[in-house]
Amino acid sequence: MQEILKVCDLKKQFRLSYRQQKLQRTNDRMLTAVDGLSFTANRGEIFGLLGPNGAGKTTTLRMLATLIAPDSGDAYIDGCSVVKQPDKVRSKIGFLTGELRLEDFFTPNYLFDFFSELYGVPSDVRDGRKNALFSRFGIDKFAEVKLANLSTGMKQKVSLVISVVNDPEFIIFDEPTNGLDVLTAKTVTDFLLELKAQGKTIILSTHIFSLVEKICDRVGIIINGRLVALDTVAEITKEKGLEDVFFDIYARVAGGEA
Amino acid sequence: MSGIIAIIKKELARFFFDRRMLVTTLIMPGLLIYVVYTLMGTLISDIAGGDARYSAAVKNMPEVLTAYFSGSPFDISDASESDDAYKTRIVEGSLDIFVLFPEDFEDAVASAGEPGYEAPNVEIYYSSSSDDSAAAFAAFSAVLDLYEKAISNVFNVNHGDGYDLGTPQSSAAYILSAIVPMIMLVLLFSGCMAVAPESIAGEKERGTLATMLVTPVKRSHIAIGKIVSLSCIALLSGICSFIGLILSLPNLMKGVFNGIDLSMFGLGHYMMMLGVMLSTVLLLIAAISCVSAMAKSVKEATTYVGPLSVVVVVVGLLSSLLGRGVSQWLCLIPVYNSAITMTGIMSLSVTPLGFILTIVSNVVYAGLLVFLLTRMFKSEKIMFDK
Repeated sequence: MQEILKVCDLKKQFRLSYRQQKLQRTNDRMLTAVDGLSFTANRGEIFGLLGPNGAGKTTTLRMLATLIAPDSGDAYIDGCSVVKQPDKVRSKIGFLTGELRLEDFFTPNYLFDFFSELYGVPSDVRDGRKNALFSRFGIDKFAEVKLANLSTGMKQKVSLVISVVNDPEFIIFDEPTNGLDVLTAKTVTDFLLELKAQGKTIILSTHIFSLVEKICDRVGIIINGRLVALDTVAEITKEKGLEDVFFDIYARVAGGEA
Repeated sequence: MSGIIAIIKKELARFFFDRRMLVTTLIMPGLLIYVVYTLMGTLISDIAGGDARYSAAVKNMPEVLTAYFSGSPFDISDASESDDAYKTRIVEGSLDIFVLFPEDFEDAVASAGEPGYEAPNVEIYYSSSSDDSAAAFAAFSAVLDLYEKAISNVFNVNHGDGYDLGTPQSSAAYILSAIVPMIMLVLLFSGCMAVAPESIAGEKERGTLATMLVTPVKRSHIAIGKIVSLSCIALLSGICSFIGLILSLPNLMKGVFNGIDLSMFGLGHYMMMLGVMLSTVLLLIAAISCVSAMAKSVKEATTYVGPLSVVVVVVGLLSSLLGRGVSQWLCLIPVYNSAITMTGIMSLSVTPLGFILTIVSNVVYAGLLVFLLTRMFKSEKIMFDK
């Protein structure tokens, strides 16, 4: 199996404001979000990062997407360093997260063209890709409707389509089904499986066990910024369900707070 | 480069396809200036006299005064009825003034200066509660004063024409140089304020800027694309305001200087004005963009930019008071340079060095601010700190 992602001892700390210190009842000025994370992902697999809120999943994915820089360590996507070659990394990846939004004022058609231009996609390639993706998700009927006038589900579909406007080999999804109704969530998971079938690599973060069991090939369990388990989903769930495995690990690592 | 063009196109589309923004930023300021100044000019002109005519009933009008009233705004009628009838009409508002000359007015005046001379009294009845009546009283008194001065003439000052060596054009230039720079600075600033915080802090607040930051487009290209497109929009807004201002000035001034002649301004002056406006909006947009990038929301950005707006207004005011005859090296001070160069263009006294220093320094400052904005786009603390 060919390795497409290599994460090497990634660390990230955030400075806490006085108010945050009071809220978290700590005197520490720094909060360690990611603490020496190392793992790899292989081409053509769906890799899940599973963990509770605040475990460091989103911070890890944001570092991989080059939105924020690690304090130390590095990650290589298709051989490009997120620290030293962020522009190259950005051209190779697709990134979808609830934090990234599209301007409500524009239509799906305009936004697809705009982001294609930012990625330097030639117009003939762009048009073919747009037609295929728009009809796949039923956006074609709403292609000229402003985003502000679309339903939440349709907006999410447009975001999904825009995130793969450059037909990336490596796609990062942060909590891809969060806040979606069951139908839209299914559309998203089906699309992830389709992308995998096309040979794309997907890394996603989630705290939904069923999503990991359903679509992930391998899973890394992350607690307090550290990777505490890493294996294939089949191997990890050999003896009991993922939920039970997770709580066992959590009890062991976090001292039974769950 | 294609990234810059894509961002410029997007920003322009965002503006030009939004009818509300188009009207409020582009059309309304110029139109409002034109309408307000024209109204102000009309009001001033009415107050200053204008074309108003007054009705006057005069008893015993001396022959010698007839010439003084030719061309005056009075419709004079010979009073043959009783005095009380005319007074009643004044109170009712159907007559403005009633003037009663003594029967021997001319003889009495002719004996002025002789021993035992007693000045005759001209009675002018009017109503101070009526604007027209009060104005008619003032105008009639002024004519009588003129006559009094003429018959007791001891010496004259500037009798006749030809003493004012200023041409109507140079007077107009002087007035414009006091008004235009201050108003234009404020208008340019408000044009920039209408678009820059929304485009930078607004996009940051809505999370749409982060979506662009995750694409391979260079941060510097995003900064350049934004500043160039926002400057184009702010410049257009400035041009519309300038046209509204220039078109309204003859109307504004008609009551004070009998209109204003703009024929002394050639294409070169207007092009220079355009150049100063362009370099000024580039600088203002870049500065407001940097301040907006620091803010977490449009509201916060507007608050941060507040002190800058005070600086612009104060500098605009200063330039019209202190802007004449200053050292050309002051053209290196941002904002102030725009004000004094605009003053120079409007007063026809701009120097090539001052003009070039203004343009070049503004562009250099804007370039430095683009660099700063790029750094800010790269800073995760500024872009993603909640």
